[in-house]
Amino acid sequence: MRVRDLKPIGVIVVILAFLPAIVRFNNYYVLLLTWILYYSTLVSAWNIIGGFAGQLDLAAASYIGLGAYTMGTLMIRYGLTPWIGIPAGGLVAVAFAVLVGYPTFRFGLREAWYALATISSVVVLQKLFLVWESVGGPEERYLPPYYGSIYYLRFRGYTPYYYILLATLALTLILNVKIRRSKMGYYLLAIKENEEAAEILGVDVRKYKLKALMTYAFVTGCIGGIFALISGYLHPHHFGTWTSLQVAILGIVGGAGAGAIFSLPVTTFIIYSISEVLRSTLGGWIPGIHLIFYGVILMVVVLLKPEGLAETYSEFYGRIKGALTKKAGGIV
Amino acid sequence: MLELLLQNLVNGILMGCVYALVALGLALQFGVMDIINFAHGEFVMIAMYLVYWISLYLVIPGSVTSLIVAPIFFVFGLVVYKLVIDRIVGTYPLAQIAATIGLMVLLRNLALAAWRAQPRGLKYEVLRGSISLGPVVVPISRLTAAGVSIATMLALHWFLTKTRIGLALRATSDDMQAAALLGINVRKMFAVAFGLGCAIIGIAAAFIMTFQQVNPEAGLTWGLISWIIVVMAGLGGVSGVLFSGLILGVVEALEITFWDPRASLAVMYSLFILILWVRPRGLFGRR
Repeated sequence: MRVRDLKPIGVIVVILAFLPAIVRFNNYYVLLLTWILYYSTLVSAWNIIGGFAGQLDLAAASYIGLGAYTMGTLMIRYGLTPWIGIPAGGLVAVAFAVLVGYPTFRFGLREAWYALATISSVVVLQKLFLVWESVGGPEERYLPPYYGSIYYLRFRGYTPYYYILLATLALTLILNVKIRRSKMGYYLLAIKENEEAAEILGVDVRKYKLKALMTYAFVTGCIGGIFALISGYLHPHHFGTWTSLQVAILGIVGGAGAGAIFSLPVTTFIIYSISEVLRSTLGGWIPGIHLIFYGVILMVVVLLKPEGLAETYSEFYGRIKGALTKKAGGIV
Repeated sequence: MLELLLQNLVNGILMGCVYALVALGLALQFGVMDIINFAHGEFVMIAMYLVYWISLYLVIPGSVTSLIVAPIFFVFGLVVYKLVIDRIVGTYPLAQIAATIGLMVLLRNLALAAWRAQPRGLKYEVLRGSISLGPVVVPISRLTAAGVSIATMLALHWFLTKTRIGLALRATSDDMQAAALLGINVRKMFAVAFGLGCAIIGIAAAFIMTFQQVNPEAGLTWGLISWIIVVMAGLGGVSGVLFSGLILGVVEALEITFWDPRASLAVMYSLFILILWVRPRGLFGRR
């Protein structure tokens, strides 16, 4: 990894770090920005399996829920700090990912079958946690209210969580760049292009797909722990199929892949903002209008521009840059 | 306990027939054009709403609306085929999944926007009451639904094996290119298969509504159940679909009897993942 690769991440992080100040720490806007960062991080993690390896994974909510329940249960029962609970949740998510992923790759499930197996895993976990009364159960389990504690990471406002997620996003983006520059990144891209060809050329397809899945599951499990801290309670509906779908939709529209590392947060920012504007203005009369928008944008992008919006951004960026340098040249 | 088991098994077998009918449309579409339609469950949900509204405004029993809803849904299927499916047939699978997921999200939330979240059940239905067979009580609505399911499956089987269009559909399913060389208009067959699949959904929805309510979220369960059955059946024809539906119904009945009804979906999807691993070509598949 070279310093040049890290520059754009630095620029993004610095810009995002000042955003809460620009909205004057207004609680509503900070919460909105927090959710945008939350989904940006999820989509960036999803990019490892969905973008690099080309597997349409719909199990994000499984890992989020497992991360949330692990962190939360350790905290409620044993008073354990989330600083340990969050990575522990990540590890539980990895264990589940291997449990489902190993046989899935071993038996060669691909494409639609992989998507169906993963989305089924979300429903299975949701129902199991609903029945498992000693940990889950149909009632919310609230986290202890140690507000203002850095040890317990519990805060009244959303600003601290915003910065926690910002750090997580930065780490996830660095991880993306690192994988792209590594041997694993090239192997994954080969698998995405043509699995049989990659196998013939000596790539251990199963091993690298599983590695990508485990990386993604770990990050997603950790984000799940942070999600539980923000929402403040545990409930089986944390295993929600809509979250899985939303992550995949943002990933596909953003053009997930090696070239889309920065396009994904940008796409999330744009789509989530538009959907939130729709929800807050028209949502009262037309419930679900913001979700209709998700369906429409996904279909339009897939039918008209199946490779996603990543190219569009770089074209746009190039045009602006070109116009600026031209002008500057004229003045000089 | 024995009586409860018996009652649940009868319910499970009746529901299994209905599951099979709902999955039949998907099996037909998947078999003929190899398309992966994630919006199938949402089609069922929309059809159920259609049954509700037609029954309400024309003041006819829900079961009779199947005669109206099935043709409407045939046309609906053709329209969806022209607008969406025709563009993605034969393209790379990720685009197919993505486009139909988009359709699923769109339909589910359009239904939410138009009809709100509260569940709606038929106001007027003739299929009421139940028959007692010893200790077992059989609701007439479910019995009729199961009977209609089997009749529809027999009709489709006859259509696929005895008529010219049916044979052409099966030829397309077996080998698209060879069928095209023999002068079969493959695109037309795709449209017919998609419309026919949707018409079957229309019939199923009318009879499901006689014993169930509908809400915008109902599609998820029906979609996943249909996928389980299609995977179990493989490309094994109509009988494979029926047997898979019955297996699913019986598994559900056993689960409800011996464990927790709330976990029935968990057991069914675990079974689904297991079958995907062990028999990805299905239990009754030909290839």
